[in-house]
Amino acid sequence: MQKPMTAQPAEAPARKGFGSPMEVPTPAGAEGWQEMYPYYALLSAERRQEDDARFWFFDGMHSPDPLYPFDTIMTENWWVAVSQMSSRVWAFPPALGVDHRIVNGYLYISPIGLKDQGKLAERIEHFNRRAGHYFENWDDIYKEWVIKAKDCIERLKAIEFRPLPEYEPEESITHHKGLYASHRLMSSYNRIIENMLEMGSYHFEMLNLGYGAYLTFREFCQTSFPGIADQSITHMVSGIDILLFRPDDELRKLAQLAVALGVDSHLLDNTVPAQALAALAAATGGSEWLAAFEAAKDPWFWYSTGSGYCHADPVWMTDLRLPFSAIRGYIEAARRGEDVRRPLDAILKQRERVTAEYRSLLATDEDRAAFDGLITLARKVYPFVEDHNFYVEHWHHSIFWEKIRELGDVFMAHNFLDDRNDIFYMHRNEVSQALYDLEIGWAISSPARGETYWRPIIAKRKAIRDRLVKWTPPPALGTPPDLITEPLTIMLWGITQETIDEWLGVDLATTRELKGIAASAGKVTGKARVIVDPDQLYDVQDGEILVCRVTAPSWAPVFPRIRAAVSDVGGMMAHTAIISREYGLPAVVGTGFATQRIRTGDTIEVDGARGTVRILEEVTR
Amino acid sequence: MTAAPFILWLDDPEAAGNRLLGGKFSSLGLSVAAGLPVPPGFGITTSAYRAFMAESGLAPEAARVRQAAATLPPERLSGETVGLLEGIATRPLPARLEDAVAAAYAALERRAGMAAVPVAVRSSGESEDLAGASFAGQYETFLWISGPEALLRHMRKCWAGMFGDAVLSYRQDGKVVAAMADFGICVGVQQMVQARAAGVAFTLDPINGDRSKVVMEACWGLGEGVVKGEVTPSRFAVDKVTRDITTRAFSPQAEEYRFDEASGTVGLFPVEDARREICCLSDRNVLDLVELARGIEIARGAPQDIEWAIGPDDDLWVLQVRPETVWSSRPARPVAAISSPVSHVLMRMAGVPLAGRNRGS
Repeated sequence: MQKPMTAQPAEAPARKGFGSPMEVPTPAGAEGWQEMYPYYALLSAERRQEDDARFWFFDGMHSPDPLYPFDTIMTENWWVAVSQMSSRVWAFPPALGVDHRIVNGYLYISPIGLKDQGKLAERIEHFNRRAGHYFENWDDIYKEWVIKAKDCIERLKAIEFRPLPEYEPEESITHHKGLYASHRLMSSYNRIIENMLEMGSYHFEMLNLGYGAYLTFREFCQTSFPGIADQSITHMVSGIDILLFRPDDELRKLAQLAVALGVDSHLLDNTVPAQALAALAAATGGSEWLAAFEAAKDPWFWYSTGSGYCHADPVWMTDLRLPFSAIRGYIEAARRGEDVRRPLDAILKQRERVTAEYRSLLATDEDRAAFDGLITLARKVYPFVEDHNFYVEHWHHSIFWEKIRELGDVFMAHNFLDDRNDIFYMHRNEVSQALYDLEIGWAISSPARGETYWRPIIAKRKAIRDRLVKWTPPPALGTPPDLITEPLTIMLWGITQETIDEWLGVDLATTRELKGIAASAGKVTGKARVIVDPDQLYDVQDGEILVCRVTAPSWAPVFPRIRAAVSDVGGMMAHTAIISREYGLPAVVGTGFATQRIRTGDTIEVDGARGTVRILEEVTR
Repeated sequence: MTAAPFILWLDDPEAAGNRLLGGKFSSLGLSVAAGLPVPPGFGITTSAYRAFMAESGLAPEAARVRQAAATLPPERLSGETVGLLEGIATRPLPARLEDAVAAAYAALERRAGMAAVPVAVRSSGESEDLAGASFAGQYETFLWISGPEALLRHMRKCWAGMFGDAVLSYRQDGKVVAAMADFGICVGVQQMVQARAAGVAFTLDPINGDRSKVVMEACWGLGEGVVKGEVTPSRFAVDKVTRDITTRAFSPQAEEYRFDEASGTVGLFPVEDARREICCLSDRNVLDLVELARGIEIARGAPQDIEWAIGPDDDLWVLQVRPETVWSSRPARPVAAISSPVSHVLMRMAGVPLAGRNRGS
């Protein structure tokens, strides 16, 4: 699906800025998009002066597509959860929160720095005590964190949504409950929203500190070895046995088991997962494989093919195409006599070699002592930095979306909606209202207004969102800062001074070279495959170069088939970067425009050491 | 044999680090002993130089000139050296010295399998041993010298080079080096490498002292283009640990240093069009050179400045190895002396400078 290059006046900016967010025109057919979102996330005339003066960048890393109204719970969560950690919990001295605005359905964010310098000393004092406590007790706190996270997931699993019964069960009467199905339904809804926001808070409990320790080690390395590649630094710090790789490891094991049991042909011959499972159920040795498969699924298949922030991203548990395609790849490799296990020993040895060599190149004993101390701390915090992603975005959020679909079924059963997924076209506060409407209708035993109210609204919102999907969000709006120093902006979103200059200067129509962050070294040439929708992932052909807005870790199974990865958004710590390094694939992230400039079929050259993508040959368009 | 020899071959076990070969050539002796690909050759030793100065009667005049260098301003030095330079160019050589050089050159011809084998003739001074004094660019190098007569003539030129204005006034820590002692000089003679490309490699980044990089400058033809700064070289930086080529600054090259058959001279000649826009080194060449440079650095235990050349068959040659002098002579200052990693992290997180963000009025 290609995006037309129309209606984007913000893309021809004056040299000094990206244009007022207020002046971004609404694409024809998307008028009224604002009603899908809460008033506080929208631009408004009375805040215009402030908003124009600030720098807003598109958060395509977490929300590459127009937000579904319900899905704003994710962005609204971190609007508070990330911001409060900096501003109120740690009293992180130089930075306050990260503000959000929704423009044409897309999320734009803006980090806010501390204005009142008089507060700096006071904040430093709070910060040292509070953050110091976490660093000093990191391992114990992380153990507690895992317990809290798992408990939160267990409570989420226990939440159920069922249509209201014709008659209240007699048990409610015999047990004198005094509370009935209507209350249980509303209570379940309130609990699931609270549960989501609870996990959303745990998400950021330790994350910024983890990044801080990492960034300090990185700063030390860059001072000692100016120009050291970021990937060398992450390579020294990255864990070997991280949870994010477990799902893929499980697929490798299942592939090996299929070969060992002699049932691999059933998986190879049946490319539709349901048919493969049926064939295995009938095959000798198939039941043993199926038992291993079932054991691996929970929790490892609660794995999203997106960032976890959008309900529409396919999850392995409910869409087996991606894991089965990967299993087939591993089976074919195993049949060729390759060892399909991840080469843990080799990765570990390489990590130790790289660390020892850089250490030996330091000039003084003091430096070696500092290096040892800082890398130890960085490695201590890193398991959380890498593993929280599986607990939160994959395991918890995937189940959360599934539960909300159950609630969609309830609305269908009560004649509010025609499709369980239509619920995602309602904001969570609207769902709360609609649920009460539904209970009124049930209680008075007469049709609720919602039975006629929501269908036309949802139809209109679908049309608006379909139009917004075809609109291309400019990478930034507003006034760029004089200097970008905020660490998370640089590290997670890959936005640096150079990025901004590049965005301001690039002529999209003619440029043959895109610059981004050098995320994983290596240089290759190949045909581009542009993916702007997770569903297009199944189109990827062997040997192509993946070009996407952002990748998710669960795309790992396609990585053995591609030659390189390019993304619009992302920094060194972005998923694309981590996975690419693991697979030894060249990667350039944070290019800003790759999915707009490059078309599927173009021949491109990716230089992962320099951070450039060159278009060598364009398909006719 | 007690008398110091006039000729010492680079592959003689005695050559490695031998003071008779001066700084540059004794260092090349070490490189040969370490198995590095060094073009074959020999040094006409400091002992040969001293024998000439003594037997020609020029030694007292040389001593007087060196002392004058300590007091006279550089612009007045040339007036003092006229007689000495004339003497070095013309007074008879001791016969046994002349014979030894001719015999060594004949031996080199046999080794090369080539009559009148072209050689590079360059000075290698004892004063180069002074820590921190590179004398970079102070001594002349004569390329494509063929035949014993030409060799002897250029040997004299090297000796005379000791008394050039720039060398005489070269200062180290504010002191005129020439006046410190009676430094001798060796004349190094090596078979020419028919360089397809050549250049220098530093085993640290000379711009910022980064020890994790090998930084190279390279050009088509002889390395003189890079060393003399007459050609804008292509520049490469390679991470020693990951062997990633982190910088590839290609510079198109219109002229190269090479031997011109027609004129019989070495100089700057045009590069044909087809080659101008092509980088003189492949990635493979760059990485091979890094491998070589890193090996030399590890063997010597300190950062090095290496001149190299690549022959017609992609054969690598080490022309010169010198200790890096700029960064290595600075006292090592720690990047961060930290009391504890946690307090350092807290300090850095708290101290991140405020972005000059525009926040509206």
